Amino acid sequence: MANGTENIAEYSGTEQALDPDKLSFRGITDKISGITERRTPPVWFVAFGAAFSLFLVLLGSIGYLIWEGVGIWGLNNPVGWGWAIINFVWWVGIGHAGTLISAILFLLRQRWRTSINRFAEAMTLFAILCALIFPGIHVGRIWVAYWMAPLPNQMSMWPNFRSPLLWDVFAVSTYFTASLLFWYTGLIPDLATFRDRAKKKIKKLIFGILSLGWRGGNRQWRHYELAYLILAGISTPLVLSVHSVVSTDFAVSILPGWHTTIFPPYFVAGAIFSGFAMVVTLTIIARKIFSLDHIITLDHLEKMNKIMLLTGMMVGYAYSIEFFIAWYSGNIYEQFAFLNRAFGNYSWAYWIMISCNVLIPQIFWVKRWRRAVPVMFVASIIINIGMWFERFVIVVTSLSRDFLPANWDYYRPTFWDISTFVGSFGLFFTLFLLFIRLLPMISMTEIKGVLPQADPYHHCPGGHNE
Amino acid sequence: MEFDKETYRVSGIGNPGRNPLIIGIAFLALSLVGYFIDSGQLFHSYLIAFTFWCTISLGGLFFVMIHYLTNATWSVVVRRIGENIMALLPVMAAFAIPILVGIGNLYHWSHSDMVQSDHLLKGKSPYLNTTFFIIRMVVYFAVWILLSRYLYKLSLRQDTEHHDYLLRKAAKASAPGMILFAVTITFFSFDLLMSLDAHWYSTIFGVYIFAGSFLSLLSFMTINIIFLRKRGILADTITLEHFRDLGKLIFAFLIFWGYMAFSQYFLIWYGNIPEETVWFLHRWDGSWKTISLILVFGHFVIPFFVLFPMEIKKNIPVMLVMSVWILIMHWIDIYWLVMPSFHSHGIHFSWMDLTTLAGIGGIFIWRFLRIAYSRPLVSVNDPRLESSIKIIS
Repeated sequence: MANGTENIAEYSGTEQALDPDKLSFRGITDKISGITERRTPPVWFVAFGAAFSLFLVLLGSIGYLIWEGVGIWGLNNPVGWGWAIINFVWWVGIGHAGTLISAILFLLRQRWRTSINRFAEAMTLFAILCALIFPGIHVGRIWVAYWMAPLPNQMSMWPNFRSPLLWDVFAVSTYFTASLLFWYTGLIPDLATFRDRAKKKIKKLIFGILSLGWRGGNRQWRHYELAYLILAGISTPLVLSVHSVVSTDFAVSILPGWHTTIFPPYFVAGAIFSGFAMVVTLTIIARKIFSLDHIITLDHLEKMNKIMLLTGMMVGYAYSIEFFIAWYSGNIYEQFAFLNRAFGNYSWAYWIMISCNVLIPQIFWVKRWRRAVPVMFVASIIINIGMWFERFVIVVTSLSRDFLPANWDYYRPTFWDISTFVGSFGLFFTLFLLFIRLLPMISMTEIKGVLPQADPYHHCPGGHNE
Repeated sequence: MEFDKETYRVSGIGNPGRNPLIIGIAFLALSLVGYFIDSGQLFHSYLIAFTFWCTISLGGLFFVMIHYLTNATWSVVVRRIGENIMALLPVMAAFAIPILVGIGNLYHWSHSDMVQSDHLLKGKSPYLNTTFFIIRMVVYFAVWILLSRYLYKLSLRQDTEHHDYLLRKAAKASAPGMILFAVTITFFSFDLLMSLDAHWYSTIFGVYIFAGSFLSLLSFMTINIIFLRKRGILADTITLEHFRDLGKLIFAFLIFWGYMAFSQYFLIWYGNIPEETVWFLHRWDGSWKTISLILVFGHFVIPFFVLFPMEIKKNIPVMLVMSVWILIMHWIDIYWLVMPSFHSHGIHFSWMDLTTLAGIGGIFIWRFLRIAYSRPLVSVNDPRLESSIKIIS
């Protein structure tokens, strides 16, 4: 775009990440529906095969875990929480970008969200599922995992309501439910489009049921939009509350390095950070394979990179303030915990965290790199590695060096720790690939809604245009 | 009073802000008397008043920078008001001088004999000492004044020169400006408020102060817009749609404040470590308990339910009442942060609490009106001014 026109777009109030010349209502429907209506491309089978194999690895690892017990993991005496909790927090965090995009950006009237919200929301759901596995299998006697729910029973045994682990059960399940409803509500008009386009009877029937009798009438649209707004309102506090609750898993304890008041907002910022990184990673792959460059433009990617720069800086702020206050507190245990993080036996993990989360995102100060797809692809993966290590640093460094030096031990993962974590990617990608194949991965209705043509005051090109 | 709808200028108002100026000077003079009666009380009251007004103008700086960074459209019509508020930071810098005079009265860590006998304070002395405190205060205000002046200058130039690149320059400055802002407001709140109880510490404290700061700015701004509107100024420019957007932001930051306050309280309560709980215990002692509860309900619960309905944010009388309410709560919040370290066993209101507040406030509002009325009330040549006026929230 020439410099002159860019200025107008930037400051005229008609800022538009989509190029209306390349998009028509019909073109969007054909493009998005076409992805699921075409014959399955071979590359999808390859990807699905790989993802499903990994999923089998997960099932195998869980099976062996149930057979043998949590002893197969690398947990030891002071480090009673290992990769399972790290993976849980990491996966839940990844989910947050979907809800932020679909709910908060909706309330903030950020129209560019329409190109990415659908599969970011799908990613949220799959990430929560992956997350839920870990606390579920960590309980040891998995056949009594339902004890986590407060079920009335003849023994009057209840979960400990003062335990943040129980709050997690409530927070994450509420989150999953709200996200699912929100996602499904958004899908309804698109499902109706699929129903109308379906050629096979069975497909028509399935999409007919799923679209809940959508006819696209005025009254339906009004209800739909109100429902969407209300669901956005309900989901917004969840973006903040879920990871705040997750942060209390650590912060309500009195372990140095865990007990600090900034944890709730700091965890939320980190969650959005890693979530956006995951959205960028997946977006880049999807837009390449299905040639969606005109729907998910560089502008969209650039905006996401800006959010990563911002949230990366927020976690950097939290790292620094924690360090400063540890010194300022005058508490030798606090001071030790942080010095040990940076210079102790896990310092390698700490510096991986700092480099990936604070240093690498600084490249996004440069506009050219914010808009360079290979750069952001690599950076987004590095950020998620960094965010995994953040949780590793928090969990392991504080536990492995507790108050009694005689207890101190070095935590190492075993093969089964690794295979379970790697296997969870299998579950995630299996679900994601099925989603891409079967459902509209981009919200057709919402994209159409933000096009200039959708504005009742819009004048067709060639006509009278003031 | 004449308002020109083309230039957005107000003319024929004679001497704007004369009355606030008289009030300001009178009350500052009265406060000075307090120095000879009870200097400890005076400095504590003064610190509260200073923090109250200073956090409002800091909120203005944040508002302007976030406007540029998000490239927002709705806030174009109110940006100038934010700029006029941030332009008061030099005034606040002048008002910071009495705090430096009162360091001895305010902060235990400034007495070397106390530091010598206190192991913790000794450890903190590389940071908490008078010289470094003064240096830091100078640095904070230097950063804020430079940033706000630079941004204001670009905006005023844009009024006459029509160059969009000036706005882009402002956005470029706002990005590093935001980092500087985050760091300075954090340490500013550590120094000024948290170190009153130098043993106590909380990592979220800076964010907590920021939440109150931005919330009070939004309320101050809303009051100001309603004040103008009553006189028929900008009534077609800042529409009810903008009220709704402001109302939504106030609502959001009420929740944000509550979230910060709750995170701080809850984690300390649950951890139950004496060195942390002591701070809240002081604020639960005697009549301080009342203030703590007033904050819970007045600063969060009541305004939350009042501002919850969508349409209420377009109801100007309600918005006026709630904005004044929130400002009062903001003052109580700071009172609650500061005073328990002086009157540890219960509330002890003093006339100096009011004279210092009105004294600084008088000068603050006098400067504010002077600045506001000497320029267009809206950034007249902003390319998105039209779209901003027409926005539908």
